[in-house]
Order: sequence, then C-alpha cells, then structure tokens
Amino acid sequence: MLKDNLTKALAPLGLEKVADGDYAKTGYHLEVAAQPDQMAGVAQAMLDAGCFLESFTAVDLMESFDLVYHFASFDELCRTAVHVPLGKRKGMPSISQIYPGADWYEREVFDLFGIHFFGHPNLKRILLPEDADFHPLLKDFGATQGND
Amino acid sequence: METKTGEPLIQFGLLEEALNLARANSLWPMTFGLACCAIEMMAVGMARFDLARFGAEVFRPSPRQCDLMIVAGTISKKMAPAVVRLYEQMPAPKWVIAMGNCAISGGPFYYPTQYAIVPGADLIIPVDVYVPGCPPRPETLLEGILMLEEKITKRGRLRKFRDAKG
Amino acid sequence: MIELYGIEEKTYTLNLGPQHPSTHGVLRVLLEMEGEFISKAEPVIGYGHRGHEHMAENRNYQQFLPNMGRVDYLHALAYNQGYCMAVEKLLGLVVPERAEFIRVITAELNRITSHLLWFGAYLLDLGAFTPIMYAFDDREHILDLLDRITGSRLTYCFYRFGGVPVDLDDEFITGTRAFIQRLRSRWVDYDNLVTKNVIFINRARDVGLITKDQCVKYGITGPNLRGSGIPYDIRKSEPYSAYPLFDFEVPIGSKGDIFDRYMVRLQEMEQSCRIIEQALDKLPNGPIMAEKVPKRIKPPVGEVYQAVETARGEFGIYIVSQGDVKPYRVKLRVPSFANLSLFPELAVDTLVADLVAILGSVDVVIPEIDR
Repeated sequence: MLKDNLTKALAPLGLEKVADGDYAKTGYHLEVAAQPDQMAGVAQAMLDAGCFLESFTAVDLMESFDLVYHFASFDELCRTAVHVPLGKRKGMPSISQIYPGADWYEREVFDLFGIHFFGHPNLKRILLPEDADFHPLLKDFGATQGND
Repeated sequence: METKTGEPLIQFGLLEEALNLARANSLWPMTFGLACCAIEMMAVGMARFDLARFGAEVFRPSPRQCDLMIVAGTISKKMAPAVVRLYEQMPAPKWVIAMGNCAISGGPFYYPTQYAIVPGADLIIPVDVYVPGCPPRPETLLEGILMLEEKITKRGRLRKFRDAKG
Repeated sequence: MIELYGIEEKTYTLNLGPQHPSTHGVLRVLLEMEGEFISKAEPVIGYGHRGHEHMAENRNYQQFLPNMGRVDYLHALAYNQGYCMAVEKLLGLVVPERAEFIRVITAELNRITSHLLWFGAYLLDLGAFTPIMYAFDDREHILDLLDRITGSRLTYCFYRFGGVPVDLDDEFITGTRAFIQRLRSRWVDYDNLVTKNVIFINRARDVGLITKDQCVKYGITGPNLRGSGIPYDIRKSEPYSAYPLFDFEVPIGSKGDIFDRYMVRLQEMEQSCRIIEQALDKLPNGPIMAEKVPKRIKPPVGEVYQAVETARGEFGIYIVSQGDVKPYRVKLRVPSFANLSLFPELAVDTLVADLVAILGSVDVVIPEIDR
C-alpha cells in the first residue's frame, strides 16, 4: 500500500505530523506537516516512492504563510497534502532540483505572494509584468492597490 | 473617407466611393485572438457561418498585411503594449472591432480591485465597432462586420429591406 | 567553425511573439537558435492573466461560478463540475443520480468538442486547411445540442451546487443519439485524411518524445501522459460523479511521440461516445437538484482538493474556507501549466517547424495557464 510505504519513508525525517486524511471530506489520504528545512527530505521521499507533484500553492494567513504541496501517484490512488508554515519575510528552500516541475510553481508563488525561494535557478515573475511592484494575493493588497 | 486616423489630404470624390466599396468588401482581419472570443472568431471563419462570403476570410497573421483588427478577448496589462504596437504597425486605412464584453469594458473581469486587465480596448486604441456578448455568437460578429462595412461605405447592403424588417 | 575575418559565431535570438498564428492564445517563446536548430526555448506567459484567484477572494461562491467557464473555455463544463463538486464536498451535499448523469453527458459532449477543436487547430498549425473545416462542422452540431439546454456555446456556467438547473428534453436525447451515429461515420474520414497521411506521419512519428521519468518529475497529466504509456485517468483512478457506472477504456500510446498523443485523443473521442450512449440508455428518473441547498452558501471551516479529468489533463481545485460566504483561498491547478513547463526540455535541438508541432501536440490553452 502506497500510504504505508510513504508513512514508513517519512518516519525517519522526524516530521511534526504524518496522519491519515479524511478522504470524503478533504480529498486527502495522507496529511503531513513539515518545517521549511525538512521539505527537501520530504520531496525526495515522495520522488523515490514514485509520486508526482500535483500542485503547490500558498495561503496568506495574515501573520504567516501556509505553503501547501499536493503529491499524488500514477500507480495507486494516494493523495498527500504537505503543509509547511512559513513566517512572513522568511524564505523557503526550493525543491526544483528534485522536482523540475516545481520551478514554475515556485515562480508563481513568488509572483503572487512575494515568498523567496533559495536555490531556485530563475526566480523571476511569471504571470505579472516583470516590472510590477506588488504581490496581488496578499491579504492587505486589495485595500491599497486597485484598478485605474 | 474618414478613419480614426484623420481625413486624407487629397480627396478624390467618386473614386473614393469606389475605393471604399472595394475596401469594405475585402477586409483582411488579423488573427488576434486573446482569449475565449478567439474561438468564436474562428467559428465565424468556418463553414457554417462563413465569413468568406463577405470577403473577409483572409486572416493574415502579420499586421502589415491587414486592415482590420478584431480584438477578441481580455487585454491584460502585460499585453497592452503589444496591442498598441500591433495597431501602429497596421497600414492606414485601418479599423478596429472590439469583440466581446472584455474588449468593450473589461467584461466579467472588471471589479474595483482588479489589478491585471485594461478595462476596454478603447482605452488604448481607437475602436470603430463594438460587438457585445460573452462570447458573442458568430452571427453577432457577422453583424458587427456588416456594420463596419456600412460605416466605411456609408451605405448598407440591401438597407431598405433590413430597415423594413426592423 | 571557420573564422571569417574575425567574426565570431553567436546564437540568434528569435522571438515567437505573443501574437502569432497558432491559436493557443497569447504565448511568447524566446528562442535561441544555432542556425536552424534551437538551443534554448523559454516560454513567457502571463499575457492573459486576468486574476481569477484574486476574484475568488472577492466574490461569494455562487458569484465565482461564471469564472470557471472562462478558465479553460474549451472544456468549461469539466471545470464547472470540479468547482461544484469541491463546494458540495465542503457542504456535504449529495447530488441526485439524474443530475450526475446529466453532468456526465454534457461534460463528455464538451470533451468531444475540445478534442475536435484541438484536432482542427493542430493540423492548421501544421499547414493543413481541410481538417479544421470538418472538425468545426462536427463541433457545430454538438454546440447546437448543448445550446438547447445550457444556453451557451462556449463558456458554460451550467451546473449549480447540488445539481443542474435544467433537465434534458426528448429532442436533446434523440439529437445526441443521431449525432453519435453521424460522428462514428466520420472516423473513417479523419483516418483517411490525417491518420494515414504520409506528410503527417513523417512530421509526427518520433518527434517530441515524452519519457515516463519526465512525466513524474513535471507532473504531466492527460493525453500527454497517456501517450507515453501510463494509464492514469482520473475517471478510472479516482472515480467521481457517475463514471463508475459506465464501461469505457483508457487509450494509451507506447512511445510518447506526437503520433501517440494524437491517436490517444482520437480514441478518447470514441470512448466519450460510448460513455454518452450508456448514460442515455441508463438515464434514471428523479430530481435534478439536491433537496436542501442553502440559499447562502457558507461552508464550514476546512479545506478540500477535488480533481477531475479534463480534455487537457487533471484539473485540481483547492479551496480553503474559513466559514465565510467568500472563499478564503482558491487555487486552480490547471493541467496546461505543468504540461507547458516541460516544453523547454522538449524543444532543445529541434527545428522551428518541429517546435510548433510539439507545442501544438501538448495542447495548451494559455488563458488557463495564466488564469
């Protein structure tokens, strides 16, 4: 069972939480919480188990960010959600050496939230014009910026 | 014959009328689909709604060879300089049709804290005909092109029959 | 390398600008070329960015429904379905069976239109003008059928939370059955025109190979993945809606070149026809909306991830709710984003003509990448 293999592979990393998800309510089979510096180990374990990076995004929780990685597998149905809390004005190590597909996802998070990724080969804006000076999905954006 | 770029210096009278008839009946649009409306623009060129019977079938990719720009889709702020540059690259006389609600006024994407789009093509280039809809049916775009022909020639196709029907 | 009067060899930068004849939308590709061969291709996206995710935080759940039809307008009903299912999961609503069948029938019809449009537009990119005429002709029949009950031709907003608002009528059912008969007779035409065409085979065989390793590393889904031989289809792997009740196959390729992806899409259209026929035969009677749909949609605190299989791959929607009428965060995981991120690797050491063929075969829709 892929879920058991993943739980075993993640055990030596000493993560905060590796628990079963409630599939009917959330769509996850496995819920994992990790710290930013442990993320590289988690990503490597996922790649070794044959999972692909389904999605990567960030949520602005006013005082901090919550980075959410979703992994799934082509062989067996098992969706893993990895939540990584990140303080404001902190950076995050990039996993684009392990998953090259994460390259664009990290650029998008940088573009929309302003989170910096260490070790990213090409961290520049991807959706907004390159000379834009705002990050639109931050919660305090709508109050100050707007349409002209 | 006046376009948004101004009256020509030398006017030829009857020759201009003949030239306008020729220009209106052989408009060459530019393939400028930005978003969803592009698909309806493609459908207009296809067999069912057939734009070829009005002479406007030749969609040229290069702006230097067209005289009609159909802005089909939302103009984002990143794309706006490219739109203006393409408009400037077209040789006069040239016309612009704003197709779809996004090109007219920002459409469904306009709201107070919108940061990404230009709410309307006429903010950056002069527009001759507005074709509303989201997306407009291909028949609507045909009506828009016919209306542009009327504008160019100052006479309509079978206008007395159209006006009678209402 | 000949040194001619001290001239040094440099690479040549070519800009495949945001406005170009391929109808994928506004994509810009910066090419660095050594003679005719491409050494580096960098896609620049964002020319269609409209701020869907920002709009989601500024509107309530019902007001965000029309946006889903505009993310990927070619298979809009699948995106509608994903969003409605995600919110229904948050609310705990159960959709009645007839509504699920109607959703499947309309979504599969929409899948056929999307693949037909890809077929026509792709061959237009390669220089063939006839297939797009045939494809759009078939497409117009489907659009008439869908127009009858949904009211739109392209950017549908047909599903509601808890079901569908309008029921199918007899004319739709007879029309769909007649159309499927007609479409099946068209496969022969398409085969003779394109599949057996020597020029197409030469341009498509052994070009643009996607390996299984690349699929895992980049998160490729959809016909691109199935063309490389991995049989992952969310309708079978993570079944949702009424799909478990139908019997259909998942076509896969073997090598992962353009021809395999093309065959996968053609065969998927036939499988969609099978699903529609079975659904029409087994269509149950009953209500089309769930019983207690609240007027104010205020899901409880929580998050949900819902994946559906669209014509381009896996569409995932991730909603974070904090108990308000407006979503706190909506992330749209679109298949073309991951598929296009593989493109720089595929483009190395190819000719420009092959580049256009590879880009078309990956089937990207730029407004969904830019959201």
